[in-house]
Amino acid sequence: MSYALGIDVGGTFTDAVASDGAGRIVSAKTPTTPPHREVGVMRAIEEIAAELGIGVGDLLAETDFIAHGTTASINALVQGTVAEVGLIATKGHRDSIYIMNAEGRTLGRAAHEIQDTLRQRKPAPLIPKERALEVTERVDHAGKVLVPLDEEEVRARARTLVDQGVEAIAVCLLWSFKNPAHERRVRELIHEIAPDMYVTLSSDVSPRIREFSRTSTTLMNAQIGPRLRMYLTPLQKRLEENGLKGPLLVMQSEGGTITADRAPEHAITTVGSVLSGGVIGGMRMAEQLGHRNVITTDVGGTTFLAGLIVDGEPVRAPGSVVNQYPINAATIQVHTIGSGGGALASVDAGGNLRLGPQSAEAVHGPACYGNGGTRPTNTDADLVLGILSPRGLLGGRKPLRTDLAREALRTHVAEPLGLTVEEAAIALHEVQNAQAGDLLRRAVVQAGHDPRDFVVYAFGGAGPAHCAGYCQDLGVREVVVPLGPVASAFSAYGLAASDVVLSAELSDPSAFPVPPDVLASHYTRLENDLRRALDRQQVTFKEVTMEREVDLRYSMQVNELAVGVPETGFTERTGDEIIERFEERYERINGPGAGYSEAGVQAITYRARAKASLDFPVVLPDVARADGPDPAEAFLEERPVCLDSRTGFVPTPVYDYARLRAGHEITGPAIVDVPTTVVVVPAGVTGRVDRLGNLVLSYQ
Amino acid sequence: MASTIPGADEFTSRPVPREELLRQIPPTLPLHRIDERQAEEVNALTYEVVRHRLWAVTQEMGETLRRMSGSHVVTESNDFNFSICDELGEQVQVGAYNVGLIGSMDLAIVWTLRNRSENPGIEEGDMFLCNDPWIGGGLHQNDAAVLAPIFHEGRLFGWTTAIAHQVDLGGPRPGSFSPSARDVFGEAVPTPPMRVVRGGVLQRDVADAWVRRSRLPHMVGLDLRAKIAANRNAAEQILRLIDKYGADTVKAVMRRMMDDAESRLRDKLRTLPDGTWSAVGYQEQSGTGDRDLHALHVAMTKQDDRLVFDFRGTAGQTGVINCPYPGLRAGIVFTMLPLLAGDIPWAAGGLMRCFEIVTDEDTLTNASFPAAVGKGPFGPAWGSGNLVAEVIARMLDAEPDHREDVQSICNGTTDLCVVSGVDVRGGGHKGFVSPVFDVMAGGYGAQVHHDGVDTGGRLIIPSAKAPDVEMTEYLYPLLALWRREETDSGGPGRRRGGMSGSVCYVQHPDQSGDMSLVVSGTGKVANQNVGLAGGHPGNSQLDLVVRGIDVPQLAGARSMPGGLDDLGGTVEVLPCEGESTLGAGDALYLHWQAGGGYGDPLLRPAEDVREDVLQVRVSPDAARNVYGLVLRADGEVDATATEEARAVLRHRRATDAGLTGAALAPIGTPRPDGVRRLDDNLAVEVESRTVICVHCGTGIGPLGKSAFVEGLARREVAPTEAGPHIWHDPSVYVDADVVFRQLCCPGCLTAVHSRVVPVGHPLPHDDYRSWA
Repeated sequence: MSYALGIDVGGTFTDAVASDGAGRIVSAKTPTTPPHREVGVMRAIEEIAAELGIGVGDLLAETDFIAHGTTASINALVQGTVAEVGLIATKGHRDSIYIMNAEGRTLGRAAHEIQDTLRQRKPAPLIPKERALEVTERVDHAGKVLVPLDEEEVRARARTLVDQGVEAIAVCLLWSFKNPAHERRVRELIHEIAPDMYVTLSSDVSPRIREFSRTSTTLMNAQIGPRLRMYLTPLQKRLEENGLKGPLLVMQSEGGTITADRAPEHAITTVGSVLSGGVIGGMRMAEQLGHRNVITTDVGGTTFLAGLIVDGEPVRAPGSVVNQYPINAATIQVHTIGSGGGALASVDAGGNLRLGPQSAEAVHGPACYGNGGTRPTNTDADLVLGILSPRGLLGGRKPLRTDLAREALRTHVAEPLGLTVEEAAIALHEVQNAQAGDLLRRAVVQAGHDPRDFVVYAFGGAGPAHCAGYCQDLGVREVVVPLGPVASAFSAYGLAASDVVLSAELSDPSAFPVPPDVLASHYTRLENDLRRALDRQQVTFKEVTMEREVDLRYSMQVNELAVGVPETGFTERTGDEIIERFEERYERINGPGAGYSEAGVQAITYRARAKASLDFPVVLPDVARADGPDPAEAFLEERPVCLDSRTGFVPTPVYDYARLRAGHEITGPAIVDVPTTVVVVPAGVTGRVDRLGNLVLSYQ
Repeated sequence: MASTIPGADEFTSRPVPREELLRQIPPTLPLHRIDERQAEEVNALTYEVVRHRLWAVTQEMGETLRRMSGSHVVTESNDFNFSICDELGEQVQVGAYNVGLIGSMDLAIVWTLRNRSENPGIEEGDMFLCNDPWIGGGLHQNDAAVLAPIFHEGRLFGWTTAIAHQVDLGGPRPGSFSPSARDVFGEAVPTPPMRVVRGGVLQRDVADAWVRRSRLPHMVGLDLRAKIAANRNAAEQILRLIDKYGADTVKAVMRRMMDDAESRLRDKLRTLPDGTWSAVGYQEQSGTGDRDLHALHVAMTKQDDRLVFDFRGTAGQTGVINCPYPGLRAGIVFTMLPLLAGDIPWAAGGLMRCFEIVTDEDTLTNASFPAAVGKGPFGPAWGSGNLVAEVIARMLDAEPDHREDVQSICNGTTDLCVVSGVDVRGGGHKGFVSPVFDVMAGGYGAQVHHDGVDTGGRLIIPSAKAPDVEMTEYLYPLLALWRREETDSGGPGRRRGGMSGSVCYVQHPDQSGDMSLVVSGTGKVANQNVGLAGGHPGNSQLDLVVRGIDVPQLAGARSMPGGLDDLGGTVEVLPCEGESTLGAGDALYLHWQAGGGYGDPLLRPAEDVREDVLQVRVSPDAARNVYGLVLRADGEVDATATEEARAVLRHRRATDAGLTGAALAPIGTPRPDGVRRLDDNLAVEVESRTVICVHCGTGIGPLGKSAFVEGLARREVAPTEAGPHIWHDPSVYVDADVVFRQLCCPGCLTAVHSRVVPVGHPLPHDDYRSWA
């Protein structure tokens, strides 16, 4: 027997999933144990072993690999609990990280915040100016050295930083992605003085034009790298001592893994690991269900997250923003709005109902939890509408207070708007659905796709109560609510089921098309780098595929569009073929006639991505089949529920998920009670239990 | 409006009452309208859902423009905007980009309705292109607007607009701004609305005529398509919304959004004191060769829930420093929207109903054809905006609940320097024209509780950006020796103004010959980035060409010049309005504007000044001479010596003001009862209506008619007394005598007013009607 393990270390819980590759999948949930998170990880592994009925040693000895995701790095960045680092920059350009291209006030902020200029400030500096030092050197846009590196000065600067007690040094010089020689020499000189110093070069971490985001990325990498190393090294040691057979792999934001010994060096690429795990889980399930295009939605207490899978692959973005600082690390794109189940509702001075972005989670939770919260949330509205039972979630372990929910709605929404409490509740429910629908539509359309070609997967505690509503306007074909054995540890499942994905890129801004030999030389270099990196993973791969991309734009444009590059040999025609692809995609996104080839085309960044699949199928198992479609055996009760402002409260059947079987069909309006969530099946919608135990909603 | 050219006044647009406008639209153009009853019938739920959708649609317009545009101005600096309007052009939703454009988009639609309905007609699938600053849709000829009517079932339902600054639309100088223009005929040609899209098809003849005028036809062509795409995408989504909810409902929501914004702003105005606040500012030099200061005036009267902005007293139109009426409105909305309506949705049509304008004709801010107006938005309009910001801040400062909204003036204008030439790097020969965009990183004004944001951008473009140096060096044959935040640039104050920065460029080593420079900026002598409540102004703008530097084009350099002192060569100070060249052996230095401070710098906590010194925001010299900070040898604050140094500085103020011999009144805690605060330093005793100093309790004089101003100690000294960031020799730029004027409490000598102004500049004269 052999196993694949996925371990997701979240802020509250550590989830683990083990698959034996033969259809058996088990999961476990244990509390996360900061600051020694490896303790919680070992406990989760113990629980998994117990679940499988074997010892930890036996489990690890038969484990082909552990894929690991953690929120520790991203939380450290968000909360500022990071290593003290120094920066070495090109003389005259230290302030790039302080000037922040002036956009530091607004990066990552919502439009209504940007408009409120009096309250927008830059974030606290990543490092104080006394730790940001300059060295004499200069390289130009073509990579040519104009002023040589002053090595004596570098030594002096390095000593200053070492004397200040920094844990890591980030080096970001102008145009280093065109010519990394000076950065590499700076690293050598630092290591002459401090051999163990963690040094990060911008030309390694983010070889991309635009020095502000490159510096920001490099600095943040230095801030989290040393601590990730302090966490992973003992964890790996412990796992090896316990007999782990295969490697410990760490999930990256981009959706593939790297080995634990190399992860600290590229720490910034792992900050989105847990979010990506969820999308990868969705991708694997989609493979099993035969869905090519999927929108994954994950609605938790505070956030609503959405990812896209197109043609079987997650949609990626070249970067993200944390604390108003940009991160240049490819990531599975996750769109966020602050309206999870705990988003607070209010009526503003102009009489507008608003939902979010503040959430009740951090303070007292929804009013109906009875923990002292007095402002109404979606959860309160759902309770008043009968969608949630007053018995509460988790089989009655968390009862809910309808009186408090009604009071909160009355005070903060109903009375200010002149509505009844029930009307206020349905207004909230529908505004939430409309906001979520808008977000999803924008995400899909802006990526150049038609929502009608997609199905939606709805995870998270608060998603299934709303998904039928927020998907209706989208025009999607189906909504799948994953409810099988790993539903509550979906991200860990995604981790276990991930491929190894590595990418490499190089920036070479120039007019396009370039001669075929330039294309060939760029991609040969990138792919050789990737093959070497794969060799270091210590895993046997079943199959390795390479994808090539180039970021193109019309001359003088500043935003690029990533376009696929053919895999076969390059000819004189190849450049034109790539431009044709670019123009087709451009018009799909921006509308017919938007293209403007007269302006000429430029290439900025070349990228290759290696996808190496592990020889290990992590397959979700089938659940028991029902004899027929009638779900009567799972009928629980009937209660008045309001799902539509036009029909009001109607008696609605409630079904118990535990007694539903594959093949059962539920006709809306109906409610399905699941221990961790509630699924709403509105009128006009049919819910069918599929072979994996998911509830599939389709519109009539 | 009284153009000397017969027929020119036809091409002007002013706000027109809705009923009058309706009478002027021929019946051949059917309008979609709703009555008042329908407007009130929309329920809260539908209102919310549709409002959110319209908000999302406008955001997408901005994203489309940014994604597609070829223009640095749009993609890197966000100098553009867009709107959704109702059938008569009232703005339902606008973007948070160039705020001033909001003052002109509706006017362009009004003009189009009045002048294009019959011939060539306004029909489904049409779009109109316009860059006429008298008509609107932009503030100078560089602002090119595409106006798109939306039809539903044959009726004109509404409009969308997309406007972006184009780097070059022709005229005698690269970049289309000409500092020596005698009139608009020496600038880029203004173009009234032309039907550029007809029945959904881009008209090749019109588009070609449009791009043909430009030195950057590809860029202009790309942006034209970007604007068309943004309008088209918005229309599709609005029509989808109409299909779902019905045209009447969507229109009712649009109407209510504007009504709601209006009532929220009026509610806020009612909570603020009544009165009249006034301010005077200057445009330095009216064009190449001029050496005068030209005054802008504004007096804002706030009564109950309405505002009146009175610009009378502003100088007559002259030189290149003029803007037509849309620019005057822009001057108001530039700062009124961010400062008074930042927390109110920008359903701008509703916000525009809350103020009235009083103005003379043929002035700098209400210029008639054919005045040169290419500098309109960043000259007189922005200058007026600074004055509007100042009077709004003084009104807000007198209401305790709104003091957190008080902000000193941000960077007073842009530091325009258009560089052009032929890029011959790598054996090429490609013409280029571009303003230097690093200057977008201006400093923000200080607030009552916060220092101004350092290199924070622009108040008038809330999402302003500066490009990366690497992007500039990639696009243009320049090398940045440095780009940095400038120590001491932020206006000193109890709260410090946000720092600005400087950039220094040389030609790339592969270049040869001269590049052309067109420069423009005001705030080099009479600072526009003023501080409030005794805070000092931010730095003087300074633009230089250093001729014959020691390391031309960095050839063979072993070291990098780290500052002006390292460059060698001879300095040429660039004028406020002029042209120059950047030779192969020269360096171009631009030091743009920071924000003003708030409150007397001697009241800044010593620890905050120390931290400023550590973070290189304030130099040790300025810390000592401007803030009175004394540090011990170990770098910690010497509290006693600091107190003494500050007392010495107060004594100096007394001496300069002619108060000799008297002891300084001790600074204590503010009096709690029976007084109403006017700002950081002054309060009025409600009973006696006497103004007192909140720091020492000294009575200053009666509030009525600003009589207390006579009781303030006044000193007028050399400009550099305000700090090392103030230019030392005004005679380089203008003939006027310029001084640093401080008005201080006669008791404790706390500064309540600190300005760099020409001699004879009027004293403050505010009328706090609620209490006087």
